[in-house]
Amino acid sequence: MPMIEVKNLSKSFGALEVLRDVSFQVEKGDVVAVIGSSGSGKSTLLRCLIDLEAVKCGTIIIDGRALCRDGVYAPAREKKAIVLNMGMVFQHFNLYPHLTVLKNLLLAPRLVKGEKGDAPVERAMALLKKVGLDTRAGEMPGRLSGGQKQRVAIARALMMNPDILLFDEPTSALDPELTGEVLSVMRDLAKERMTMLVVTHEMGFARDVANRVIFMDGGRILEEGPPEELFNAPKQERTKAFLSKTSA
Amino acid sequence: MDLSYVARILPALLNGALTTLALFALVLPLSLPLGFLITLCASCRFKPVKWLAQAYIFIMRGTPLMLQLFFFYFGLPFIPVIGPYLRLTSFSAAALSFTLNYAAYFAEIFRGGLLSIDKGQYEVSHVLGLTSFQTMTRVIIPQMIRVTLPSIGNEAITLVKDTALVASIALPEILHYAKGIVTRDFTTTPFIVAAFIYLLITFIVTVLFKFVERKVNYE
Ligand SMILES: Nc1ncnc2c1ncn2[C@@H]1O[C@H](COP(=O)(O)OP(=O)(O)OP(=O)(O)O)[C@@H](O)[C@H]1O
Ligand SMILES: [Mg+2]
Repeated sequence: MPMIEVKNLSKSFGALEVLRDVSFQVEKGDVVAVIGSSGSGKSTLLRCLIDLEAVKCGTIIIDGRALCRDGVYAPAREKKAIVLNMGMVFQHFNLYPHLTVLKNLLLAPRLVKGEKGDAPVERAMALLKKVGLDTRAGEMPGRLSGGQKQRVAIARALMMNPDILLFDEPTSALDPELTGEVLSVMRDLAKERMTMLVVTHEMGFARDVANRVIFMDGGRILEEGPPEELFNAPKQERTKAFLSKTSA
Repeated sequence: MDLSYVARILPALLNGALTTLALFALVLPLSLPLGFLITLCASCRFKPVKWLAQAYIFIMRGTPLMLQLFFFYFGLPFIPVIGPYLRLTSFSAAALSFTLNYAAYFAEIFRGGLLSIDKGQYEVSHVLGLTSFQTMTRVIIPQMIRVTLPSIGNEAITLVKDTALVASIALPEILHYAKGIVTRDFTTTPFIVAAFIYLLITFIVTVLFKFVERKVNYE
């Protein structure tokens, strides 16, 4: 059973069609890179999956549960449970600036899952150690570098024990010398067989870590396949044009 | 300036200061939550509520506070039928009109504060499973308070000075007493002493707000 199953998804903002009849599947443990030029609908696709945008038609099934079937959404309770099975990492981190690093990690487990006592704190410290930031637990986010902020954001998403992680250009807001530390955390997650859908401009990452690449153009999935195939022998002219532009 | 004279008039002026402080202590904590409620109404998706809140802000900010004060003290009793039941003491009329007026200003300040919060804060909270209420109380309001605190401090100082307006409905506060003594003794000293009392109060308010600002500063 696929972890993510999307069928005939379409999405418009007013008269602007942003996603046109998008269908794809992601298997458990897959790392799927989504590439494509600006405005092709990559972010919108991710946002639809995690209920940040509502769609009018199409089907989204997450781990066997329908978030939305032919444009009809699950009841609020079910919807929330499905969304909680996914974590999302944003381009601009979206850390809570008024809370320390540790409290950023603890807020949702405490409020949403009612976790109490030392257990969530120990898990938070373990996750911070995993992303290399256990010594910064008491720091306010404003004092961290971009790369550190994004690593905290990843740890915060992991606190909810999601089965799927969605990344929307996690390194695009970072100075080039800071992208490595974030990509290396993502690489570790991929090794642990976390199911990941990653919108990225990092072609190196897509090539090395992803086991499948989706190329989007004008709201459609134009081409998809293993990175070796898609990067070395793209079938579509537009994919070729895009790849030659980014590698240049 | 004759210090023994100052000492003689001081008790009356300090008595007036009590009115100022009582109004301040009542109006600030009442108008802040009311202002926030009005902000929420003004951004409500249900149009009639939104229009009502916007009209409220427009009227309260667009007319003189003194007029509003007169309205609640002198005007209400003349309303047909229910008027006679609406006779307020000068202190209640002052507290009421100040609260309603300041709530409108705070509503505008809070609106600006809410606008300054990145929409990513709402999005990440939704993705993490927080309810709208939890997002408001645990994420948005704490950040809004920090952003708006300097403006709220400004308004608080204006409030201290605006209390002088209640002299016009014969509610005895600092200025009321000062004016009485000036016309009785033919001297400017009471005005100067009154100025010092106002300065002392605004100074304390400023220091308090600076303290709170430092407390909630998370940079
Ligand atoms: N809330 C919105 N309202 C109206 N139009 C929107 C909205 N969000 C996105 N769009 C439009 O939808 C199209 C696709 O946007 P999207 O953000 O999904 O593209 P993208 O592939 O992520 O691009 P980028 O690489 O620049 O992030 C764009 O034309 C964008 O202007
Ligand atoms: Mg995007």
